[in-house]
Amino acid sequence: MVSDNLKVGVFICKCGGNISDVIDIERVKESIDADVIEEYTNLCSINGRKIIRDKVIGDELDRVVIAACSTQSHLKTFQAYVQPLNPYLMDMANIREQCSWVHSTTDDDFNQKATDKVITLINASIGKVSKSEPVDPIVVQTPNSAAVVGGGISGMSAALSLGKQGIKTYLIEESPSIGGHMAKIGKVFSPVKIAEECGLCLLNPVLNDVVWNENIEVMTNSKVVKANRRAGSFNLLVETKPRYVDSEKCLSCGDCVDVCDKLIPNDWNDGLTNRKAIYKPFAQCYPDSYVIDIDNCDKCGDCKRECKMDAISFRRENEMIPLEVGSVILATGHKLFDPDLRPEYGYSRFKDVITQSELGRILGVNGPTKGKFQCLSNGEVPKNVVMIQCVGSRDDTPNGHKYCSKVCCMVALKNANIIKHKYPDTNIIICYTDIRTPGMFEKYYKHAQASGIRLVRGRPGEVGKKDGHLVVRVEDTVKREFKELDADMVVLSTAIEPSEGTNEIAKIFDVSQSEDNFIKEANPKIKPVTTDIQGAFVAGTAQDPKDITDSILQATASASKVSEIVSNGIEIEPFIADVDYEICDLCGECIEVCKYKSMSIEKDRIFIDPMSCSGCGNCIAKCDKNAISINGNIDEMIFSTIDGILKDKKPGEKRIIAFLDDIGYTAADNIGINRLSYPESIHIIKVISVNRVMPKHIIHALKTGADGIFIGEYPGDLLYDEIEHNMKKIRREIEMNNMNPERLAFSKVYIPYFSGLARKFIEFDSKIDEINDLAK
Amino acid sequence: MDEKFEHGSLDLAHFIMNDIKFAQGENLLKCVQCGMCTSACPGAQHSDYNPRDMIEYILEGDNSIIESEDIWNCFYCYTCHSICPVGNSPCQANQVLKQIAIDEGIADEHLRPFLGFGDSFLNHGMGGIPQNFFKEMREDIGEDWWEFKNHLDDVRTQLGLGPVYPDDDSIEEISTILVKCGFKDRVEKIREIKDYEK
Repeated sequence: MVSDNLKVGVFICKCGGNISDVIDIERVKESIDADVIEEYTNLCSINGRKIIRDKVIGDELDRVVIAACSTQSHLKTFQAYVQPLNPYLMDMANIREQCSWVHSTTDDDFNQKATDKVITLINASIGKVSKSEPVDPIVVQTPNSAAVVGGGISGMSAALSLGKQGIKTYLIEESPSIGGHMAKIGKVFSPVKIAEECGLCLLNPVLNDVVWNENIEVMTNSKVVKANRRAGSFNLLVETKPRYVDSEKCLSCGDCVDVCDKLIPNDWNDGLTNRKAIYKPFAQCYPDSYVIDIDNCDKCGDCKRECKMDAISFRRENEMIPLEVGSVILATGHKLFDPDLRPEYGYSRFKDVITQSELGRILGVNGPTKGKFQCLSNGEVPKNVVMIQCVGSRDDTPNGHKYCSKVCCMVALKNANIIKHKYPDTNIIICYTDIRTPGMFEKYYKHAQASGIRLVRGRPGEVGKKDGHLVVRVEDTVKREFKELDADMVVLSTAIEPSEGTNEIAKIFDVSQSEDNFIKEANPKIKPVTTDIQGAFVAGTAQDPKDITDSILQATASASKVSEIVSNGIEIEPFIADVDYEICDLCGECIEVCKYKSMSIEKDRIFIDPMSCSGCGNCIAKCDKNAISINGNIDEMIFSTIDGILKDKKPGEKRIIAFLDDIGYTAADNIGINRLSYPESIHIIKVISVNRVMPKHIIHALKTGADGIFIGEYPGDLLYDEIEHNMKKIRREIEMNNMNPERLAFSKVYIPYFSGLARKFIEFDSKIDEINDLAK
Repeated sequence: MDEKFEHGSLDLAHFIMNDIKFAQGENLLKCVQCGMCTSACPGAQHSDYNPRDMIEYILEGDNSIIESEDIWNCFYCYTCHSICPVGNSPCQANQVLKQIAIDEGIADEHLRPFLGFGDSFLNHGMGGIPQNFFKEMREDIGEDWWEFKNHLDDVRTQLGLGPVYPDDDSIEEISTILVKCGFKDRVEKIREIKDYEK
């Protein structure tokens, strides 16, 4: 089947037994037709590279087939190993995830059916590469700029790293000052030191560095309201609310505050104190100037009259600022669980039931009590403090969060330690389900125990009042004893949940969210800062609950990712639409039909955005003039892959072809990774988009011996409805060719729901058996 | 006791999970013994009943919990059910345990207080609060309730509704079914238990 003048080399990987324990490699080598056939224990190793490269150069190979693992794990590796051959003249036959891992070993011999399948898959790849053409990956350069959304410790750390690498950075913060939650924490715990450190003292140098870095532009009172991905850049629209106080003129004298008579609960103190309508968020805030909370201001003008610098003006409008940046880092942070959603703990009923965050403010020297530890009801130092863990975390009931908020054990131990050191006579009990202080934090846990902090293992059911003081009702599960713990103060360790800003920004940028509404990484294991939108990264508590150290780690990691793009551009698979400008008459039909919105007219030409074009081929079908093609000879490659799969089909043998795109292919890999199984008759062909599988391909496959065709599509794909609709047409066409239309199956695929895909393979295989029986 | 459930296995847990009275599925297995149920359980505050402990017996495969007297101190307030952080329901598991005990005939004496419900079906053709509870309910809920209860048919007539109880023919039919299926015999057998003291 390979044209006579093309020399093909096939390299088979044993994968240290992962493949060769199930597959009879010797028989495979005897059964395939290629110019060079090699096997090796680990083809992906450096030795493997030598074997491949020596053969490619020495035997002047034109095409290469690597029969090994999934393209998901080693495509890039082998594309590099076949150099100087063009990377797209190599194809990988997936004989591990989609063969040896899903078809088990028979008693003592190799699995013969699976061995047959390996031969077939290699033939398919030989067929595919025989039609492949050399193409080069497209590299899109991006502007040397970035936007960081969110000005907390994550956003500031990311911006600072970007600025120091010479990248123009816009740090966009919704509130009037950068600083975030860390500014109000007071004392912070550190992973190694058995001590609490001053949060603001650690934060201030970072804040100053951000302010003084010439590459960073801090935009406060601002939020991103619109974002568009266009080729290598993001076009953002930022709405900036006026401060009504000119930061340049304001001297921070505070005279304006004295004359303002509005009182508004002060966020910075968790509402434990009030502030005025004109205020400064906190002493070390940036910009270091006053601001008017216009929603709570009645515009009496007293402050304006009082200001000697004439810095105040009420005649200011919201401003819309367009920005074009190469990358974005989303660092929109978290908020805390509303304790009123657990009414049994009486947060709103009892003044002395507070949150850990409020306790942090009470203990802070810059807080409402100037650092004096006291009950909110009577101002006395509490004798008995009970802390309740997991309020809203590890909680399956409505409004609760199933996850562990990760930091609350350390927060509770920290606050308990601070109290115990200053007020040794105060008894502190922490009611917990499990104490989670991994790594070095364990030392801090022991330190807290040594300070005399008591731990009761049990999750309290209720906080009540008895004889004028609070009682926490809990079962001491270790002692199997129901207890009513007396308390002057009860502190709730509330869960961390995604902020409203995080929810909004996910929608604006169209990045996926996890089931808990945090921003989802592309892969939680190996791509922890990448989102599923190219060039958009995530850092800090916008992604999941984490402490300050982890937030900074992720922030600087995401800054490195931005730097990678700035230095090398974004590499894109080249199989995208291409327009012949000689033929194109700019009718614009293709723009209409493109579901990915990647086509537009620019400078009297159809412009195709390589970032968003999926290579689905919808435009090809729509173009009357045949002016559009897709790079890479895809049509012919699908035909020759089908021919390869159906080569040497024996009588009575059953071969089913499954066409899957990236998502379906990954789901199929997951079946193997999780060692589920499905019949050997299933042969998977990876396509750029299942839309590229045309009726002619399907009819051809069925006519030349395929027993069934399975097409899987991710329902989230923009083309899903269209493809599902097309299936009816294709079935009619199959019927017109005197074949059973039921031989074509169409199914939804999801990456996490791999067991469902395995089940569908099994069901389709037995359905094909029935159809074959009927046909006899 | 029961050979159906192998000691030390998850047999008992799986039996409960598959029972129609238990609607929480595998959440039963997710219990981390946090004790929130016991912390809020009125039964636990006034007796040795401990829902957390009961779940631990089930998960341990310790079938002796079926014979425990303590499980009869749960009266289905469903507090544990509504607050359980893993979506388990100790009170529903409790119902299945009690049913196993009843089916094995080791719980007849615990059924005596509920005889009134059975009588209500036999005499009125429908379930209702047994008369032996009236005195305490009148004290707890108050005279308004007593008034309302005694004049329920008047109220219903004014609202254009029919009487509360089915007509005599229907009652007769229901009663016949209950006699034929052995319900009446069972009620009478339980009534014969003399040594039950409240």
